[in-house]
Amino acid sequence: MKLRYVSRYGLAVITIMTFLCSFHFAFASTKDNTEEAMGRTLANQAVKNANRWSTTDHAKIDALNQDFTSGEEITQACLSCHSEAATQFHKTIHWTWLASGDKSDMRYGKAGYSVNNYCISGNAMEDKGCLSCHPSWNKKGVEGEVNCLKCHNSSGFNFDEALSDIKAFSEDSDPETEDIMKDLQQEVKQAVTKITLPTRKNCGDCHFTGGGGDGVKHGDLDTSLTKPNRMLDVHMGTDGKDFSCTRCHTTLDHNIAGRIYTNPAVETRKSLIEDDLAPKITCVSCHSSVPHKNDSKMNDHTDVVSCQACHIPTFARVNPTKMWWDWSKAGKLKDGKPYVENGPYGKPVYKSIKGEFKWEKNVIPEYFWFNGSLTSTTADDVIDPAQIVKVNHPVGDKNDPEARIFPFKIHRGKQPYDKINKKLLAPLLSGKDGYWTTFDMNDAIERGNKAIGIPYSGEFDYVETTSAFPITHMVTPKEMALDCTQCHIRENSKLAAITDLYLPGRDKSGLMDTIGWLSVIGALAGVLLHGLGRFFTRNGKEN
Amino acid sequence: MVKKSIITLTVLLFTMVTFSMAFTSDGPAGNDRKGKYTYRKVYKTCSQEGAVESATPKLSPSDKTMAQWKIVFENKNFDEFGCKDNWVGLSDTDILDIYSYFYHHAKDSPSPATCK
Repeated sequence: MKLRYVSRYGLAVITIMTFLCSFHFAFASTKDNTEEAMGRTLANQAVKNANRWSTTDHAKIDALNQDFTSGEEITQACLSCHSEAATQFHKTIHWTWLASGDKSDMRYGKAGYSVNNYCISGNAMEDKGCLSCHPSWNKKGVEGEVNCLKCHNSSGFNFDEALSDIKAFSEDSDPETEDIMKDLQQEVKQAVTKITLPTRKNCGDCHFTGGGGDGVKHGDLDTSLTKPNRMLDVHMGTDGKDFSCTRCHTTLDHNIAGRIYTNPAVETRKSLIEDDLAPKITCVSCHSSVPHKNDSKMNDHTDVVSCQACHIPTFARVNPTKMWWDWSKAGKLKDGKPYVENGPYGKPVYKSIKGEFKWEKNVIPEYFWFNGSLTSTTADDVIDPAQIVKVNHPVGDKNDPEARIFPFKIHRGKQPYDKINKKLLAPLLSGKDGYWTTFDMNDAIERGNKAIGIPYSGEFDYVETTSAFPITHMVTPKEMALDCTQCHIRENSKLAAITDLYLPGRDKSGLMDTIGWLSVIGALAGVLLHGLGRFFTRNGKEN
Repeated sequence: MVKKSIITLTVLLFTMVTFSMAFTSDGPAGNDRKGKYTYRKVYKTCSQEGAVESATPKLSPSDKTMAQWKIVFENKNFDEFGCKDNWVGLSDTDILDIYSYFYHHAKDSPSPATCK
């Protein structure tokens, strides 16, 4: 009898323990599940032929084996085989710097009315300083020949400098310079044959230094991505997938997928299963909209939360990025000369030619609804200077089926605006008449606005502005992604700014919470009572 | 005798003025473009001889101000450049060209600012 009671109560304890353990497992992660996530399988399939290959050794091409005296001659050599390349390229935004494609619509683009809160404007290509990133020879902009080597040469050789020196030496009567010139021409000849599909460095020479320096503009693009490890970016890591930029930014007729001016980077999220010619520009393209393991709750998030929101918890993880730029402080001199003050990270916090800066590393993004489009306040739009002006800002809300919660870098600053016309202004910066030489902001604005054809009243002041950049590079390994409690938590939720939806764990509703807890307690009590009832009645059977 | 002395003095004066003009506030009057390649050649040779690991020079004009380069070159103190033996073999014209290159492209030189 005694043994019988021990056995009975022992079994009761085991039943309760088993129940509690089952309850725990139901809420535990499934990390030890060895099944591979479908999104990973699909992505590996999409990129399994990773090696890039060519059928041409450019060192054997006669057209390239000559003594070049100008960049234009090199371009002609390229076009002697690639006959349509320049025609195609002339139609792209990389060449025109205009979203419309030509000067019939100047509204959007670096060569148009678009402004930012870094170096502000390209002044319709009149600011020659900006043209160092235009893919033409000798900073001639659209008036020049396409410099194919900007994107297609891996030598790292400075062709502009060498060709300019060759030209100068050829006009020199000094016999010693003739030897230097011959050496230089030999170096050009060797370098020019190092033709490649665009490498990370080719793209990075401009895009990693956007805004005027390493990591200034984007936050998720800087020179650390030239040779990253997989901890910095799982896709580009040289010890990981080792993607080049064009692995995702796929190209058609020299048009490169992924820009955001007037149009979103992609119109719809298509996986390669739905359309095998879709650009690989979104995560969904390769990973599908069900990227996690079959039983993962994370798969239920993909219609609301972007992949980037969780998988890029911070940006600027190696090099700092500029977060504040105050043009109103520019122009101070020491002993009559411009000066530079360096601050944390060895980066300038003050430059006479540009004003005051703030830099940050390991920056936590700000989150917004984003359907792939950004608003853009141009130099031709009327602003309210009493408010912080959003130079650009993500578009989207929770009712937009294309919108997801997306991480952004928000760059803040102060820049000049027209006090009478209430428009942002476009000062000319570089060159002998630019602000960096004259330190006369009023004159620089007059010249800059004249270049883009927008009237200036002659009176200016400074207004605070913000500029938003989507964060989509520097994707961490999955172990470093955000976990549930970094958003679903009452205090300091990452998504504290997303207030137009009910976020379990972060938000509180007395009625919902009461119903929830009653359900949990009721279910628990019901199961427990049922189990114990059956146990003590032995399923209605006699001993 | 007087005539000879006058000619000698004139030549001397001319030489001094020419030399001092090379080091006036406008900077040295050598061929800076040629100086750039002479400077690079020093390191290329030095690297081929195994005295330095890289053929890329370790100092560039933007490492110092015009005034700092003036002190370096007027004192002919090239220790921090390394490759001492190669510097010794340079002619005065070569050094003037290299000086012109460093001076006219110094950190605070009036060459156009870039968007950095």
